[in-house]
Amino acid sequence: MRRMKVRNLRALVATFVVLAVAIGYVTVTGLGNVCAAGVGLVSSICPVGALSALLASKTLIPRTLVALAVVAVLILIFGRAFCAWICPIPLVQRWLPDHRRRAQELEVETKSVIETVSRSTSEDTDADARTGGKRIEDEKGSCASCGEGTTCTAGAKMKLDSRHLILGGTLLSAAVFGFPVFCLVCPIGLTFATLLLVMRLFAFGETTWTLLVFPVILILELVVFRTWCRRICPLGALMSLIAGASKTFRPHIDDERCLVTSKGSLCRICAKACPEGIDVRHPDLSRHGVNECSKCLECVDACPVHAISLPPVPSRK
Amino acid sequence: MVDMEQTAHGMMRRTFVFGTAGCLVLFGMGGLAYMGSTEVCRPPGGQDDDHFTSLCIHCEKCREICPNSAIGTAHIEDGLLNVRTPKMAYSYGWCDFCEEANAGVPLCESACPTTALLLPEDARPETVIIGKAVINRSWCLGWQLMGCRICVDACPYQAIELDGDKRPMVKEDLCNGCGACENVCVSMENGSVNGEESGRAIVVEPLESA
Repeated sequence: MRRMKVRNLRALVATFVVLAVAIGYVTVTGLGNVCAAGVGLVSSICPVGALSALLASKTLIPRTLVALAVVAVLILIFGRAFCAWICPIPLVQRWLPDHRRRAQELEVETKSVIETVSRSTSEDTDADARTGGKRIEDEKGSCASCGEGTTCTAGAKMKLDSRHLILGGTLLSAAVFGFPVFCLVCPIGLTFATLLLVMRLFAFGETTWTLLVFPVILILELVVFRTWCRRICPLGALMSLIAGASKTFRPHIDDERCLVTSKGSLCRICAKACPEGIDVRHPDLSRHGVNECSKCLECVDACPVHAISLPPVPSRK
Repeated sequence: MVDMEQTAHGMMRRTFVFGTAGCLVLFGMGGLAYMGSTEVCRPPGGQDDDHFTSLCIHCEKCREICPNSAIGTAHIEDGLLNVRTPKMAYSYGWCDFCEEANAGVPLCESACPTTALLLPEDARPETVIIGKAVINRSWCLGWQLMGCRICVDACPYQAIELDGDKRPMVKEDLCNGCGACENVCVSMENGSVNGEESGRAIVVEPLESA
């Protein structure tokens, strides 16, 4: 029996969250949605919303600060796990053609790497040496700084991008205009709002233009700007900043198993699998540092020799 | 190597374009919101408009927790700034200050994660004015001399009384906008209301426009 793909497991968890919120809406539990979940002190709050509100009102609110602290601790432990496991947006995105194409490309890549490795270990000659040689030529660039077959030892640097600029704009606009501006367009909030509007449409026959406007904004944000998570989302940006100080659940490669270190292969499957643009083997050279890791476990799933794990505490090395 | 440099370069420019465009949109929206937002009846504690607007993160927790379903959400019809913020929905329920559910401490106020809903220490139902009830005389059955007095009996604060011709009148100094009258008004079922479905012959209107 085939193990469930981690991608589907994540979708299942995120769907469960949406369902839980919907059930909460019906049963009046007061658990809330992801903007502010939980009861009393055991509650979390959207850190972007909370910071915006604090800046907009220019007051320190104990209740909000406690919830913010809870969230900060969660992010310090789990990094951007919210993005991969809870956020409803990837649920929509996984059906977009880009994501499907990437998955197919990865499959092809995995096959070719496994073929190359198995052929070179069975000590075939000319033809394979040639293909192997060509691959080395291709990949040299990315391995220049540390040389083939070794691990980048320097820690991953934090890299800022457009999301961080927008995070700045989000907080600044809240402070300038005196209300959390970003909340008006936040696709996570709009998803739960649309869910509620649909529920109220059926429950009470409540009709409003919002029922059309919210989905249109959502479609614009997610389909027209396909790269929302990668280029725009200020929530992801804030979490990546906090996660910079996190040492837990970081991807770790078992060098004895990894094809790069044990067989001298130029396998880059984990790097290609990573939706956040992290090269687990060479985090310094990749688009993003490990602080962006959303613990999606795609690299763990993709690694042909199961060399990657996400240990709760870093193993000494 | 050449490949990487190009990517890095492209990324930089795109980073800047996306970031600036995003910020501009946010600032544009911030400015837009000042136009065309209307007053709506807020749950208890949301009466100071500036305080409320600056803190509400549109999480809808107050709406969810209300045991009487008296809180709904404002829609785009109520202005851009109000979208997804709580708005009293008296056709579904009225506000009894959680007298039954939580011994007179409104659950919405205690659930608000940012204290956008905030009541003064000595708040009592009589002192927190959500809005004022207004009677539409051409829709009201009582005003058509049909003897309807359902709202009069429903009002927990004796803020509606009948005049000499048995027509209901709102005593504004006693009304706190709890919405019990709007909730029970039968004008809709009796077909005397024209227009929108949730229309009632007696509605609670927010203070500023009341």
